[in-house]
Amino acid sequence: MKMKIGFEVHEQLATKRKLCCDCPTDYREAPPNTNVCPICTAMPGAKPMPPNVRAVDAVIELALMLGCDVVVDKPIYIQRKHYDYPDLPAGYQHSSTPIGINGELVGVRIREVHLEEDPGAYDPVAGTVDFNRCGIPLVEIVTEPDMHSPEEARRFLRQLMLVLDYSGKVRPEPGTLRADTNISLEGGTRVEIKNINSTKGAYRAVKFEVMRQKALIERGAVIPYETRAYLESQMITVPMRMKVVDFHVILDPDIFPIVIDRARVETIRKRMVEAPHQREQRLAKQYQISQAVAGVIVSERELANLFEAVAKEVDPKLVATWFQTNLKKVLNYMKLRATEVKFTHKQLAGLLRMVKAKRITPEQGELVLRKLVKQPAEPEELIRKLGLERLEKADLRAAVVRTIEENPKAVMDYRAGRKEALNFLAGKVMKFTRGRADPREILKFLRAKLKEKKKRRVSRRTKRSK
Amino acid sequence: MGRGTLEKLKAILQGELSATENVQQALNRIKELDKKIKAFIELNPNALAEAEAIDRKLKRGERVGKLAGLTIGIKSNINVKGLRATCASRTLENYVSPYDAEVIRRVREAGGIIVGMNNMDEFACGSSGETSAFGPTENPAVLGRIPGGSSSGSAAAIAAGMCDLCLGTDTGGAIRNPASHCGVVGIRPTQGLVPAHGLIELAVSFDQIGPLAPDVYGAALMLETIAGHNPNECTSLDSPSANYSDKLGIGIENIRVGTSPKFSELADSAVMEVIDGAVEKLHDLGAEVVEVELPNLEKSLSAYYVIMSAEFFSATRKFDGRKYGRRIEEVCGDEVLRRIKCGDYISRKDQHDRYYKRALQVRTLMRREFGEALNKVDVIVGPTVPKLPHKLGTKLSPAEMYAYDYLTSPISLAGICAGVIKAGEASGIPVGLQVQGKVLGEGTVLRVMRALEAAK
Amino acid sequence: MSNFGHQTFHRAVEISSGVWMAEREKEVGRSAEEIVESFARAAEELPKLKETYYSQETYNVSRPDGEPSREEERTEFRKRFISIMPGADEQGNLRVEVAKWVEGR
Repeated sequence: MKMKIGFEVHEQLATKRKLCCDCPTDYREAPPNTNVCPICTAMPGAKPMPPNVRAVDAVIELALMLGCDVVVDKPIYIQRKHYDYPDLPAGYQHSSTPIGINGELVGVRIREVHLEEDPGAYDPVAGTVDFNRCGIPLVEIVTEPDMHSPEEARRFLRQLMLVLDYSGKVRPEPGTLRADTNISLEGGTRVEIKNINSTKGAYRAVKFEVMRQKALIERGAVIPYETRAYLESQMITVPMRMKVVDFHVILDPDIFPIVIDRARVETIRKRMVEAPHQREQRLAKQYQISQAVAGVIVSERELANLFEAVAKEVDPKLVATWFQTNLKKVLNYMKLRATEVKFTHKQLAGLLRMVKAKRITPEQGELVLRKLVKQPAEPEELIRKLGLERLEKADLRAAVVRTIEENPKAVMDYRAGRKEALNFLAGKVMKFTRGRADPREILKFLRAKLKEKKKRRVSRRTKRSK
Repeated sequence: MGRGTLEKLKAILQGELSATENVQQALNRIKELDKKIKAFIELNPNALAEAEAIDRKLKRGERVGKLAGLTIGIKSNINVKGLRATCASRTLENYVSPYDAEVIRRVREAGGIIVGMNNMDEFACGSSGETSAFGPTENPAVLGRIPGGSSSGSAAAIAAGMCDLCLGTDTGGAIRNPASHCGVVGIRPTQGLVPAHGLIELAVSFDQIGPLAPDVYGAALMLETIAGHNPNECTSLDSPSANYSDKLGIGIENIRVGTSPKFSELADSAVMEVIDGAVEKLHDLGAEVVEVELPNLEKSLSAYYVIMSAEFFSATRKFDGRKYGRRIEEVCGDEVLRRIKCGDYISRKDQHDRYYKRALQVRTLMRREFGEALNKVDVIVGPTVPKLPHKLGTKLSPAEMYAYDYLTSPISLAGICAGVIKAGEASGIPVGLQVQGKVLGEGTVLRVMRALEAAK
Repeated sequence: MSNFGHQTFHRAVEISSGVWMAEREKEVGRSAEEIVESFARAAEELPKLKETYYSQETYNVSRPDGEPSREEERTEFRKRFISIMPGADEQGNLRVEVAKWVEGR
């Protein structure tokens, strides 16, 4: 069944104070209604302070990252959007006219990007409101209905979250996403869903809604235009029974319009962060690595930064392979994000140089990497501490000879055709050399030695029989 | 009313009259008269203590502010921390202000003693003082008549000598109208000159806080105390601070005073007679009187009401009864409800262009016409209210009531300043001359007003 | 002082039912629409000009981001705010209605 899905996504912008007052924006530890003042609680007569310029700049930057045209040399108005809801102390929400228009992200058109204010936190079940977050600047991103399945919707949201995360312009704490989605099935009506707070939630809400609407259409029922709420706990949507509201939009007489000139846009463009989807393309091209690997590398901004720093010093292809496999593996295992990594790019580059020069084996490299992540130090030092300096060939040969001599049964087994005996012997050599030897070398030496002795014995036997 | 503001201030500074005595006198007078006048809704229980603090400062020879020891009344739509800003409405009957308006901060810093909160038309919706939920205010100058509004209690308090100075608010004429009817001095400052933070909105793009005073000196003193840039407000003008009270006596020779034939078209002849007399006096004092064109003056009223209603609807959405007070639609009077309904209708998406946008075009027109007229003259003088105040309790239709604002609302649309001073009386009823000045032309307006005052 | 008439008023409010309120809203609403229509007529033949939305023609009045207000500054306001709330819970949340779409679930 054909369907169209669009989003309105809101994220809090990372500013120190709110959009139109001096209250702090970090409310997570704060008891209810402590980060508030007469302005953000809409006390009678309180007037907004002039808007926080960092919030406006952040929206411009995000618009650029999403490939939008920034509205320049034309007034951008701060409007009042009126509706009656407990989380909205003034009875209206500040919402700017578009700052960015006509963008695109992974094939989904971005209709507009603009600035808004966060309402308070309303607990619809308890019937309580906390205004701590009320007045925090938000970016609102509105897409065209260009997604055609719940999976596409999820993919877009993930990518969008990545862009926002990359930008460093939104609050870093998880759980600040607020999305509304609209879904219409072929032969149906557009339905809006509010109260979505995560990518997972969006996926489930869309999935549920598609099923619900499909069932209705199949039964021949008419889908009414309505606004529904997603109930996270039950993973269903329910009608909000809202009257069709006219927002009575007026320009806020309290806040003068903003005019952005080209110079401001260019300044921001110069210092702006490269969007992950753009960076992915560039990395693949610049470092001659596959799109898939580049995709893994850009999955975190810090990871990509680290990659580029290391790739300047060591063969980029080796670095890419390491990032995709070893580093990702270690980080995942330790449940770390790239931002939390403490070692320097120099240390990692040093380690990879040694791998490249075959001074240590890849396995040893990973061992060092694990240490590096736990407790950053110079790789040389770690290798010494771990006793991982590579064995001289003679020492390895000696160890192999000794192992063969000390394990006649295994040798016999091997010669009798039990291949797994070779692994046993290799393990013994490994133990003997305290893991300093490259397993591939061990096997090579072992095989050669075992063959050699066999030959000699055979020749002896031949002699006797003669 | 006793001595003038300057003399009173001198007496306090020189120790002839203590601030405490001054406050006590005000409280006595209120106690004596306010049952009848109803100029106050609430009194400040700390007024005497605040006065004592000023007296201690004076005794120790410490520096005190411009308003040291003067008694101040505050219109009930301005936030004074700890007092109720009711807007004379049941909606905010129990709303105790949790913060000070910026002007209140300035008045306190200047040593003014707030004696109480003045009665007013409910949410400033009215031009007669009759829409207050706490009962109508009397006109002390002509008992039995309306004092005008919406700063009814403020003008009446001054007229009855209940306090030295008042802060009122003017949206479409709410300072000037009652000043005219009560025979006191009132100023509507240029839009943005006086910080608005803490003023409970009627229509935020027109609302202005301004002084009501028994004399021009008092008005000038209060204005220079509260005027000046507030960087925390977008719409606050970034203008240099001005001193008005020092330059009042310069006289008006060479001042060009404009009049318009429109005024006599719109105002009753009884009113015009007094106004013409005052214009003649200005001429005698050395001013050059010139006729100016204000071709669309009468068109401003409806535009004003459209814009005001749209902004009022928006501003009242916060009165949902959840955070404080009661839901406005459930407890407000008819006039407030009517304006909310008007605003609701006007700012609907499908109606927006037909009413609201059109009214905003008329605002442009008014700005243009006054701008052109004031290019030719320093001030324009004329009547303040077209009619004399009606008897309390007379039933007027909304349209008749709105017509009181014919001559004051154009100034609000134009964004300029205007002052009102008593020009004389018509059958014993005060008639105020409206002196309309350029943007930030308060100094000139006050000079003209002072010249007329001194000539009495 | 003029706090007269409270008792009578409150009784009137209590007696007056929602029906009366709705009637009043309807009636006042009608008069409002008539008034608005007459306002519109008054401006009909005036020239079309650019709209003036703001008290001044000023752009880009903004303020920099910076250190937020201090907690001490906000503590007093919080106390006063909670004291005027119609209802608050022990933590200081404002008490309001439970959402309609949650009721009955």
